[in-house]
Amino acid sequence: MTESLIQAYSNSPRRQKLQIIGGILIAIIVAAVMLVLYLVMSSRVVFMGRQLQQAKSDIDQLIYLSVNYQNQIDRLSRFELMEERAVELGFRPAYPGEVFYVPVAGLENADEVGVVFRDESASAIINVDIPDYHQSLIEWVGEQLSNFLRPFRGL
Amino acid sequence: MNEKITYNWRYISIAVVFTLFGLAIIAQMARIQLTVNSSELPVPVLLGQWEKAASRRGLILDRNGHVLAGNQTVYAVDVNFEDFNQPGEIEEVKMLADLAIEAFDIKNQYLLEFLQQEPRPLERNLTVENYATQADLLHFLDLLERYYAGLPLEEKTEESEESEGTAPLSIEESIELIDCDHLVRVSCSPHLIRSYPEGRMASNIIGFVMRDSNEGQLGIEEKFDSTLFGNDRTWWAFWDPHKADLAPDPDHGANIVLTIDSVLQADVETILDESIKKTGALAGTVIVMDPRNGEILAMASSPRADINRYWDEEYFEIINNLENVFNYAIKSYEPGSVVKVLTMAAALDAGVVEPDTEFIDEGQIEIGGVTIKNWNEKAWGPQDMTSCLQNSLNVCLAWVATQLESESFYNYFQDFGFGQMTGIELAGEAPGLVKSYRSPDYTRSELGTNAFGQGIEITPIQMVKAVSAIANGGEMVAPRIIHSVVDDGYRYTPPKTVVGHPVSAETAETLTEMLRQSLKNESSLALVPGYSLAGKTGTAEIYIPSLGYKSSATNTSFVGWGPTDDPQFIVYVWISKPSASIWGSEIAAPVFRKVVEKLVIHQGIPPDAVRIALQE
Repeated sequence: MTESLIQAYSNSPRRQKLQIIGGILIAIIVAAVMLVLYLVMSSRVVFMGRQLQQAKSDIDQLIYLSVNYQNQIDRLSRFELMEERAVELGFRPAYPGEVFYVPVAGLENADEVGVVFRDESASAIINVDIPDYHQSLIEWVGEQLSNFLRPFRGL
Repeated sequence: MNEKITYNWRYISIAVVFTLFGLAIIAQMARIQLTVNSSELPVPVLLGQWEKAASRRGLILDRNGHVLAGNQTVYAVDVNFEDFNQPGEIEEVKMLADLAIEAFDIKNQYLLEFLQQEPRPLERNLTVENYATQADLLHFLDLLERYYAGLPLEEKTEESEESEGTAPLSIEESIELIDCDHLVRVSCSPHLIRSYPEGRMASNIIGFVMRDSNEGQLGIEEKFDSTLFGNDRTWWAFWDPHKADLAPDPDHGANIVLTIDSVLQADVETILDESIKKTGALAGTVIVMDPRNGEILAMASSPRADINRYWDEEYFEIINNLENVFNYAIKSYEPGSVVKVLTMAAALDAGVVEPDTEFIDEGQIEIGGVTIKNWNEKAWGPQDMTSCLQNSLNVCLAWVATQLESESFYNYFQDFGFGQMTGIELAGEAPGLVKSYRSPDYTRSELGTNAFGQGIEITPIQMVKAVSAIANGGEMVAPRIIHSVVDDGYRYTPPKTVVGHPVSAETAETLTEMLRQSLKNESSLALVPGYSLAGKTGTAEIYIPSLGYKSSATNTSFVGWGPTDDPQFIVYVWISKPSASIWGSEIAAPVFRKVVEKLVIHQGIPPDAVRIALQE
């Protein structure tokens, strides 16, 4: 009786073969998925790597371009050209007797160079007080829900 | 049964094929391992190339941010003269060489011989030009394009030869980077070199950067070479994108802001150049300093070189002269009577004379066995100290020095900083020469001659520093030409440096008044209407070895400051070996006047009447 029951519920040889084949197929699928994931990750790494390499090249190009722009500005604003232009426009240098001095209340002659830079003493702290940085996930979900439900509350 | 045998035969065939295939793979692996030279195989770790983060040399700016020294992108142009076998290719390479010679105007003898010799040696990537400008490279590419398109190359006409190199590029042409990747045998890579937009202006202050070694030479470029230097960071860049990493940040050099006002500098240089031309002088310098803080507002020196082309033959003598003088403001010379200002300052401060002390000028005085005479070799009779300065009497000032005696006289000169470098931030400053009264070869006669500026060597910048003590109420300031150093957006400004109080405030005030009176009384050519100025001329004979002192060759000088009640500038003028006149009063004094006329407008200094009215 017992043997007949076991025999009744045990897999037939055909079913056992199917199980093995199924197992192998599942293993192949898992391996394929792993491979695909690896390929995807690998291609993303390659893509990012290429972007980095391109960025290096772009940085250099920008430096060369920036230098060219600066050089062009410097050459176009050189003293000789400016003076020629001023003469063309009908200006000429003034002499001491031709200058009128007008007192302007509150205006002091700034005894400082005309180049503006940050002082050595100036603080270099960057403002990092961004709300998202100190908001918990629960608070964020609550906020999102609240935003989502806001239109319905009005109804 | 037969069916089973058939199947076995098929299985065996397939097994044999796979076995053979497997054995072939194994055999190939063994062959590669055993026969191929390993040195010919690519090493994975070396699959990449050295790359450089382009960094620029720091800028040199004037006090208003105007760029005096910047950078420029140029190209290294390489041509591949290797790997050609066909007759057509040989012709192509020959044409490439000829076009390169024409476009880049190649003068290097070795390179020319290589490019012109037949048969041409094989060489891969020969650099035909390392500093090709945008214009030159565009010209070269245009010629190549014409050649490959089978178009005739432009024949040079006289007109095109004249305009060559002067025709300005369009804005786009001069800015956009040029890419040579589409060419098979030509490659071009950009890099940065120094550029001086103003050319000759302030060249004596700036110096220049050697193209090949990238080292600063002379002036600010040499003195601050390590500060300005942009450190090109190189790293190994893997071709494998898996190993790509962020490039290091380029290490740009720090910017330097000078105290110079380039508009004033240009005006002062024009005045100096005109004066040198008009008077037939050899060289000269003009220094303008603010005595309140030591800032040099202008420092003109002539002759100057276009430092964009420092290698040109016409500048060889200016840069590589025997006396090693590139900037006359820091060269030592015998200044003559301008030193009388300091001799009188020492005597007044020591209390050995007063402004109204009387001296009977007999036309000569003997000191240490040497007879000293006046400039006109005449006796001037009774004189007070103001008229001694006004008439620039050597005899009187030599007598004043004897009243001080050697120890006190030379101690004062040491306090004024003579014989020591001022520390101005320029390479090549001369220390000057003032002999110690304790040295064995010192003779007492030198006390007399040194009192009126002969027998000693002083630089113009030392004189300006010493005179700042008189103009500035006894407080002597160190001259400085660096306003600040700016690195990574932050600025470091060195403070004003007081380097001593060689004389009292009372002495400075008294002497300023004496010199104001003497200028006014002699109706000097240095006077500027409306402004109270103090000053003194100087004429020194030049010592010529084997001939001695010759009165036909002189150094003419003038030192002055103003306004006398609130000094805001010191101007020092030195014109060397003028031929139109030998006198400082006729050569250097008018230069002082012209400079002051420009200066008061640039600096917004109103005439005395207006200034005093405004103060009240």
